[in-house]
Amino acid sequence: MAGGNVSRSQQRSVDRDPVEGYLAAVAARLAGPPAARAAITDELRDGLLETLKTHCTQGSSPQEAAAAAIEEFGDPATVAAAFAPELAAVHARRVALALLATGPLVGLTWIAAAAVNALPPWRHQLPGPWIALPLAGLALVIACPALGLTVAATGRLGRRLGGRLGRRVTFPPTCAAVAGLAAVLVDVTLLAIMCGHALTGSGSTTWAPVGLAACASLTRVALAGRAARRCLTTRATLT
Amino acid sequence: MRAEVLKGHLDALLLATLQDGPRHGYAIKEALRAGSGGRFDLPGGTVYPALHRLERAGLIRGSWSVVNGRRRRSYQLTPSGQRALSQERSSWQDFSTAVTALLGGEPWPAAT
Repeated sequence: MAGGNVSRSQQRSVDRDPVEGYLAAVAARLAGPPAARAAITDELRDGLLETLKTHCTQGSSPQEAAAAAIEEFGDPATVAAAFAPELAAVHARRVALALLATGPLVGLTWIAAAAVNALPPWRHQLPGPWIALPLAGLALVIACPALGLTVAATGRLGRRLGGRLGRRVTFPPTCAAVAGLAAVLVDVTLLAIMCGHALTGSGSTTWAPVGLAACASLTRVALAGRAARRCLTTRATLT
Repeated sequence: MRAEVLKGHLDALLLATLQDGPRHGYAIKEALRAGSGGRFDLPGGTVYPALHRLERAGLIRGSWSVVNGRRRRSYQLTPSGQRALSQERSSWQDFSTAVTALLGGEPWPAAT
């Protein structure tokens, strides 16, 4: 490892502003989870300061060393662009895992609401607004493989996917966005059906479980919709 | 030498720098430079994203420590990474043997 002999006074005299300015310029161009972005800037800072120390031990002034270290790392836009596929994959994986974790919970709240109220699907009937229920099923059929592919492509299985699919950097955010939009479609369909059911006023309804299920779906619509939009935005920057 | 020249080989070279034990990003970059006689002096902006990609693929494992008051991420090979390195090394030897045979100045076999 290089550069262990820089004195404390020399270290203190190092003007870190150029390094911090460079890191800020990289950070401003990174898109993704805040923790992942912070980890990248911390790691780059360590590398830059090690490079800077090496130049100092070779006789450069602190200012010259900082400029040389920054030059060696490359311009901020290029560095940020090199991290973009990784950050996109990290974000897509988080979105997919969050949907996988919360999906069954949202589903259970709706099943509970249907069971408590003996809603038509519980009686194997699809009258009135319930005719739209297969749309939610179709969205689920789209969401499940999209989630599976996202998790596979962004983890260790990604290398085994191989071929164009495994190397395509837009694949994870695309799959995650599809899964998020499909989840939104499931929830919007269920909420619309329940609104229609309430308006037609067929039978007495215990509203607590229905309200719980509706709140769960509304929350997921907001979060999954935002996540899908971010995935699509990220995807656009990768193409 | 530009990073593009190493396209397709960078992952194997990065894995090889970790075969003797954990290193942090700057030490990996320096190991590449020193090990290649100064030919592979890659920008940090190339090395660090590649390390993240290898970590996500499960070939290396990163861990944080604090050195001189700042956070440092060091990497080490995983068992999958060890296997991948062995495979890369084997396929490179086959490839380089074939290319050396063709470009090494030996007379080509006569066409039939």
